Amino acid sequence: MSRTGRRRVATLTVGLLVPTVLLVVWSAVAAKGWLPDQLLPAPAAVWRALLENAASGDLLSNTLISLQRVGEGFACGALAGLGFGALLGLSRTMRVLLDPCFLLLAQVPPLAWIPLLILVLGIDEGMKVTVIAWASFVPVVLNMAQGIRDVPAPLRELGRVLTFDPWYTLTRIVLPAAVPSIFTGLREGLANAWQTMVAAELFASSEGLGYLIAYGRQLFQLDLVLAMVVVLGVVGLLVNGVLALAEQRLLRWQALAP
Amino acid sequence: MSGITNVQSRGRPAAWQRLPPALRSGVLGVVTPLALLGLWQAACAAHVAPPHILPSPAAVAERFQMELTGGTFWLDLSASLSRMLEGFVLGSVSGLAFGLLLGLSQLGERLCGPVFLAYRQVALFAWVPLLSMWFGGGEAGKVAFVALSSFAPTVVNTWRATRAIPAPLRELAAVLTFGRLDYIRLIALPGALPGIVIGLRSALIYAWLATVGAELFLDIAPGIGGRLNEGRDKFEVDLMLVALAVLAVIGLAFSQLAAFGERRLLRWSPR
Amino acid sequence: MNQDVRSLPIQVDAVSAVPALDIDRVSKSFHVAGRRVEALCDVSLSVQAGAFVAIVGASGCGKSTLLRLILGLDTDYEGEIRLDGKRVRKPGLDRGIVFQEHRLLPWLTAEGNVAAALRRSGLPAAEQRRQVAEQLELVGLRDFARAWPAQLSGGMAQRVAIARALVNRPRFLLLDEPLGALDALTRLRLQDELARIVRHERSTAVLVTHDVDEAVFLADRIVVLQPHPGRVARVVNVNLGLHRNRSAPDFLRLRDEVLETLGVRHAAPATAAVPS
Ligand SMILES: Nc1ncnc2c1ncn2[C@@H]1O[C@H](COP(=O)(O)OP(=O)(O)O)[C@@H](O)[C@H]1O
Ligand SMILES: [Mg+2]
Repeated sequence: MSRTGRRRVATLTVGLLVPTVLLVVWSAVAAKGWLPDQLLPAPAAVWRALLENAASGDLLSNTLISLQRVGEGFACGALAGLGFGALLGLSRTMRVLLDPCFLLLAQVPPLAWIPLLILVLGIDEGMKVTVIAWASFVPVVLNMAQGIRDVPAPLRELGRVLTFDPWYTLTRIVLPAAVPSIFTGLREGLANAWQTMVAAELFASSEGLGYLIAYGRQLFQLDLVLAMVVVLGVVGLLVNGVLALAEQRLLRWQALAP
Repeated sequence: MSGITNVQSRGRPAAWQRLPPALRSGVLGVVTPLALLGLWQAACAAHVAPPHILPSPAAVAERFQMELTGGTFWLDLSASLSRMLEGFVLGSVSGLAFGLLLGLSQLGERLCGPVFLAYRQVALFAWVPLLSMWFGGGEAGKVAFVALSSFAPTVVNTWRATRAIPAPLRELAAVLTFGRLDYIRLIALPGALPGIVIGLRSALIYAWLATVGAELFLDIAPGIGGRLNEGRDKFEVDLMLVALAVLAVIGLAFSQLAAFGERRLLRWSPR
Repeated sequence: MNQDVRSLPIQVDAVSAVPALDIDRVSKSFHVAGRRVEALCDVSLSVQAGAFVAIVGASGCGKSTLLRLILGLDTDYEGEIRLDGKRVRKPGLDRGIVFQEHRLLPWLTAEGNVAAALRRSGLPAAEQRRQVAEQLELVGLRDFARAWPAQLSGGMAQRVAIARALVNRPRFLLLDEPLGALDALTRLRLQDELARIVRHERSTAVLVTHDVDEAVFLADRIVVLQPHPGRVARVVNVNLGLHRNRSAPDFLRLRDEVLETLGVRHAAPATAAVPS
């Protein structure tokens, strides 16, 4: 085996050490009955809960519902956020007019809107998608506006020297230069959408991964709760991976830059 | 952007253009809130929605005054703030320590890095049921949730920032024959400070979010989030609007405070 | 081709048996993407205490690498580097270095940066403060002791770096293109200051530069390196006295000679020609 190969194996082994120890301790504690099942179910029980839910189809249907909510909310919030952020970034007047109000609203934690939205929109999909959309809207706007404002002055000057019209300046200079910042906003927006989806489903829902967690808690089935925590982690990782891949493709020029 | 701005400003009266820019943006800054207020008042006057759904600005102001003078407002505010502060201090101090362990020790990073990355994938609110079972739904559970929420952002940024100390500075430490402690005190900590500050800022935002979340999800107790729930249960929209406004103002105060602290800590930075 | 510099006639003036700095048949290679790149090949050089040696050569010919080896930052090489007869194994306060980029810690003031070099000196705090003030005075920055690096000009920052390198009174002062990033006027001014400071400190100096004028102005001896792999092409003694005139005929002749060695690739190694 090559030197780097051996080193990689060593790193992997060391990295698996702590999880293995944790798992062993967890199993031991559960097997000895030191903690009641309602506080710490055995790893095997969590695995069983995961398999049961997978077999019955509950896992898939609830995951899809959660993903759909995140998808709808994020799509609405991100699209609106790109537009509004561009407005704030491009026009000084709009910024002066709208920034103070927007910044004040952005200070309110997104889930704090849920109780009010329940009164106004009811407890259904509309409420959840709205709050998820708002949660992803805020960081997209902030980063879009900032990214546009931070386009280096020499680049803008170049546009003027080459007598680009405003549209050409926007599409050839301003937006491409702002792409890294735009992606930061999208990433934060997606993370917020994901967090808020779980919160909204915990708070008021009869379907979705968050609902399964709330349900498990009410019935004191901690194995179900833990199983869903694992599922949330894995699905979250996959969703992030997709965005990272898209980002990589769009930012190829940046990797080539010295 | 001067090209686009110029096009837009062409139609404006010259007298307006001659006003000092600070005054202009000040005037424009209050235009939108006033317009929104007018719109709101007009909607109430036109009975767009029944008053219990859409209370008038005056009704909300009245409610706010009542809360301030006669209600439990100050109790709720101090309950929320102390809950948040406790959790934030717990979470960020332990996060700082853990982040430094990951960033400064290769062995620490190899041992604990992967576990931490896996833990970070789980959505924050998924921990609420677990924490409420482990710590109860009372004060301990709420503070534990706030602490957990500020832990991860502090760790991530501290870890990344201490790892990213540039090689030339590590070399300088070797040339000046620094020991481990000198390196940490004179190079690693100050060099990582900008990143650590970013982490603490985002930990502060998360702590505030988690405070409200804990108050909404866990046992009823004094707190701004509890008032939101109360407003929903009693169908008192004016109370909810008051609570939301307070949340906004406190969030703003925190971000100003954080920006001020950042400027103080990073005085040496060219920006 | 690869000659032993110590056998050259210039070594006749060697006074003590053990040179202060002895670079003995040093070769160094790096592994870049699986390939071996030779940075230094059989480089030998000995420097007597108090001498001022300049190393000139095109960029990439291993000058910085050689300094890193003298510093003890890298000990993975062939041959041996000895200080007063003892092999270099790790960095020490007997060697001060000025890097090409000033490499000041941006979160410490000018004063703090110089003081950082005294952390390991074992001097009492009051004495440390006195030393720092003295060094800043020497480089003419007494009034900027409390300034952050971001508030200093390039030339000022480089002078703080020089003060930091000198504050431990190192036996060896290593300078890696210390003035390379400065504008021409500041560079000339700092060359005068360097000459004065090194004379004042009486340390043994090794100056890496690609500015031949600078080398002729400051050094007693100029080592010309040749690239790919880096090896000694030629050693030139400079006997121009203490106060040198940059436009004197002797100065110019010597400069042109060194430039010629640098300009002609794979020139046959000449015996050290010392202009009389
Ligand atoms: N850490 C390193 N890894 C790989 N190659 C290096 C490293 N440091 C220097 N080199 C190579 O060694 C040669 C000499 O570099 P250097 O000493 O920096 O040259 P100089 O200072 O004369 O410009 C160059 O070809 C450079 O690419
Ligand atoms: Mg170099």
